[in-house]
Amino acid sequence: MIGFIEATISGILMGGLYGFIAVSLSLIFGVAKIVNFAHGALFMVAMFLVYWILVLLKVDPYLSSLIAAGFLFFFGYFFQRFFIEPILRREKETAPLTVILLTSGLMMIIENVALLLFGADYRTVKTGYTGKVWEIAGLFIAQPRMIGFVLSLILILLLGLYLRKTNLGRAIRATSQDREAARLMGIDDYRVYKITFGVGGIMLGFAAAFLVPFYFVHPAVGELFVLKSFVIVVLGGLGSITGAFLAGIIVGIIESLGAQFINSALVESLIFIIFIGCLVVKPTGLLGKQRE
Amino acid sequence: MSWNRTLFALAVLAAVLFPLVVRDPYFLHAAITVLLFAFLASSWNIIGGLAGQHSFGHSVFLGIGAYVSTILFIYWNVPPFLGMIIGGIIAAIASIGIGYPCFKLRGPYFALSTLAFTEIFRIIATTTEQVGPVDLKGAAGILISFRPGNSFVNFQFAEKAYYYYIILAMLILILFIHNWIEKSRWGLYLAAIRDNEDAARSIGINARRFKILALMISAFFGAMAGTFYAQFFLYIEPILFSSALSIEILLIAIVGGAGTLMGPFLGSLILTPISELTRTYLGGTYAGVQLIIYGGILVAVMMFAPQGIIPPLAKRYRMLFERRA
Repeated sequence: MIGFIEATISGILMGGLYGFIAVSLSLIFGVAKIVNFAHGALFMVAMFLVYWILVLLKVDPYLSSLIAAGFLFFFGYFFQRFFIEPILRREKETAPLTVILLTSGLMMIIENVALLLFGADYRTVKTGYTGKVWEIAGLFIAQPRMIGFVLSLILILLLGLYLRKTNLGRAIRATSQDREAARLMGIDDYRVYKITFGVGGIMLGFAAAFLVPFYFVHPAVGELFVLKSFVIVVLGGLGSITGAFLAGIIVGIIESLGAQFINSALVESLIFIIFIGCLVVKPTGLLGKQRE
Repeated sequence: MSWNRTLFALAVLAAVLFPLVVRDPYFLHAAITVLLFAFLASSWNIIGGLAGQHSFGHSVFLGIGAYVSTILFIYWNVPPFLGMIIGGIIAAIASIGIGYPCFKLRGPYFALSTLAFTEIFRIIATTTEQVGPVDLKGAAGILISFRPGNSFVNFQFAEKAYYYYIILAMLILILFIHNWIEKSRWGLYLAAIRDNEDAARSIGINARRFKILALMISAFFGAMAGTFYAQFFLYIEPILFSSALSIEILLIAIVGGAGTLMGPFLGSLILTPISELTRTYLGGTYAGVQLIIYGGILVAVMMFAPQGIIPPLAKRYRMLFERRA
């Protein structure tokens, strides 16, 4: 029983991070209708950044998360500016397949450059809290997972606030609802896309930093997250931040319980089966409103 | 038109004579890989090009073909040529199960759902060690032992030229089928679905049925390529089901020009030698270089020639031709 509860808690905590990554993907997918296959590669870049800052400069990952977030803002912004925007401008309508292929090409480049530079070793770090646990009511909870979960939750709430209360946030939401109408209201949609990509990058940078203390760093680590993130985004409902976060937690629980009681590899495929089922039966997801 | 035919006949003649002129087994091996990937990309082209459904799941069919014929061959001594047909039929049946849910979806959702299917198959193939009497060996893959001599029954040849002519014949066959579909009434339905599915449905085309039919044909030939792959490399592994391989197939077709007859061949002619060369000269630690080059080509093509290489070439060629006439 204790094992069950602990696995559930561990699943919730990991799921919170999945949800957080999915939120950043959902933002880009929901607003700009861009399927960004390079998302995982950007995530990997941020993880390596945090890793090297920790190894070379001995800066705590939670502190360097700010650097990673700032770096990925610009990375995301210029990624959109130089690669995706030319295609969107040329084809007027968002051309999903061209963009999918473009971003998978970029993913191949980024991942394999990282492989050349850093090799295929699985790197882990040692921080003051790696492997430390808190004991709450007889349950052991891993410290870095708990910290990552709480910080993710706070940042998601901040993102929600940003989207609701600021002018730019409102512009982002308006563009996501109806691009044409937003244009007619004087919103520069291409600028909104770039900002959205940047903000998604910020979230991703934070998520990467939160993961480094208790996960391995590897050039292909993003692949583990990117497909799962798409599953979570669709499961939660396109463009719904709360939905993505909840779906992340659900996937985290399924994975954690499945790994303990069934077989972790089969659970992986179960998640994809749920994904296909969800797309077919209820494409709007848990909390999504309407499908385009 | 007759000019096109002459050109095609000349290309076939050149391809037939190639092994007689080039004796070096390394080049012959490379040429076979080029043709194999041209065939694979051509089989994808039927669903991806003619019907415009950019499937990210083609490796599923390749994997089914490779595993079915290999298992039949190793355990029941079924000649791989027969196993090829059986694998093709099983893949075509499986494609109904895949197409039925996936074709409800469009654009990015379709791509993601087919990608999810490859992942499911890959995970199952990786984790399954044993099914009844059959030892699948999970992630380790299955080695096919070589039986000496040149035998059509065993689909194993000491001389590579046999493989070359078999895959060449397969490629010519699929090009003829592609051409036939494109010109048939059914091909026009597919083109209508590709260009505007809603409009096609509104005039009474049963879009889902025709898409599934196209996927079945595509799957059948994809599985045939799988059998050829297994008998040529004599080793199969769950990576055959991977999404990376799906993307590679799709990349070849799209770089050449999705939907065009010779696009996949041209794409393979450009891309496969790159991967062969980087594998030979840079292998090991620099294995990633091939994918960096692939990624670069993909990015460049998407940004500057999203229709692939064939359409702009065809335009120029026509202009040249008209001026002469």
